Amino acid sequence: MTPDRDDSPLAAEYVMGLLDAEARADAERRIASDADFARQVETWRARFSQLDDTAEEVAPAGDLWQRIESSLSKEAPIAQAPAVGMIGRFWRSIAALRIATLGSAVTAILLAVVAAMTLQHAQQVAARKPIYVAILIDDATRQAGAVVNAFADGRVEMIPLVDMNVPDGRALQVWTLWNREIGPRSVGLLSRAKATQLDLEKLPGTTADQLFEITLEPAGGSPTGRPTGPILYKGTTARTL
Amino acid sequence: MTAEPASQDETSRLSAAEAEISAAIVRCACGDRLALRVIYDREAARMVGVAMRILRRRDLAEEATHEAFLRVWRGAHGFDPARGTARAWLFAIVRNQALTVLRNEQRFDADTLDESHEPDLGAAISRLPETSALRRCLQQLDTGRRSAIVLAYAHGFSHGELAGRLGVPLGTIKSWVRRGLRSLQECMG
Repeated sequence: MTPDRDDSPLAAEYVMGLLDAEARADAERRIASDADFARQVETWRARFSQLDDTAEEVAPAGDLWQRIESSLSKEAPIAQAPAVGMIGRFWRSIAALRIATLGSAVTAILLAVVAAMTLQHAQQVAARKPIYVAILIDDATRQAGAVVNAFADGRVEMIPLVDMNVPDGRALQVWTLWNREIGPRSVGLLSRAKATQLDLEKLPGTTADQLFEITLEPAGGSPTGRPTGPILYKGTTARTL
Repeated sequence: MTAEPASQDETSRLSAAEAEISAAIVRCACGDRLALRVIYDREAARMVGVAMRILRRRDLAEEATHEAFLRVWRGAHGFDPARGTARAWLFAIVRNQALTVLRNEQRFDADTLDESHEPDLGAAISRLPETSALRRCLQQLDTGRRSAIVLAYAHGFSHGELAGRLGVPLGTIKSWVRRGLRSLQECMG
């Protein structure tokens, strides 16, 4: 195919919009099939994007947002097509985690959970028990750090079992992964370990084997919308009896 | 027209915007309509501005921005925060949309575009941050090559329009653009 050195101006011309319809369609096919070319396109896009900020701001007409919203409501609900690219090394250790959970740690964890529930939530548990429970453990020490309870009405809560060390300028962020294609979603941000309601309203209902984890992120939450800091505790949901 | 380089404040404002937009696009992929509104509140005016520079007509610029938001909504799941920057992704969508509108308008009605607005070539470069590698590298190019690249990117000029505007044959324009891009590539690493 074309030698590499010829690709860079082509990628730039694609980004600039200089290619004719046929060449543009070729370039789009290559972006989908040729990772190197796709990277060059991204590189040029990032280089030129500073020029976008040199455009004068032009306040849109007052009703533009309404028009956009009304177009959106006419559309079918978005199909959750598979996300492109990385889901991250982060989540790969889940298989290992499951095996670990089956091992000797399980007794200790169950005891911790039972104790926590008895002490802190005896009444609620008696009144309305969760349908799914996840025990979030520290991979290294196998210590249980928190429990996530998902209730039939869609409510999900996270209850810490230990005091987590949160340095200044950092925060605890809670994530869930129910679909590897879509990737992890943030469901809570805490300045310190405390029992909290997680925000899963916009996500599909909680199911068995759904991963929850707590990572240490900059205060205000991960800047990328994906976990960036170390995983403190993680675990998957299991159905209660 | 003011032509001040972006200040330090502007640079930090942009990096905060970057993080916010990135998170909002990820939330859009989950179906969170409020996240789209966050993007709108933060960037719609700039998006209309980017489209306006290409289309030179406000109604068309808004039309392009409207369509761009629908594309952001539908395409949010394809955004990978690890690969590209969020605002570059967003502005690529509105630029492409503006270019599509431009091509359609030119095809159907050559008179609708307001030719009286001559693009201000110097403004785009002089507003780039002083510290910007793009600014430094563009300034190292010959005037013709620099003009061709800026007019194409910021104002949506085609090769043919560049040839007309800069008064040189089409073949010369194509080679100016290519050589200019190669120099930029070397300069920006």
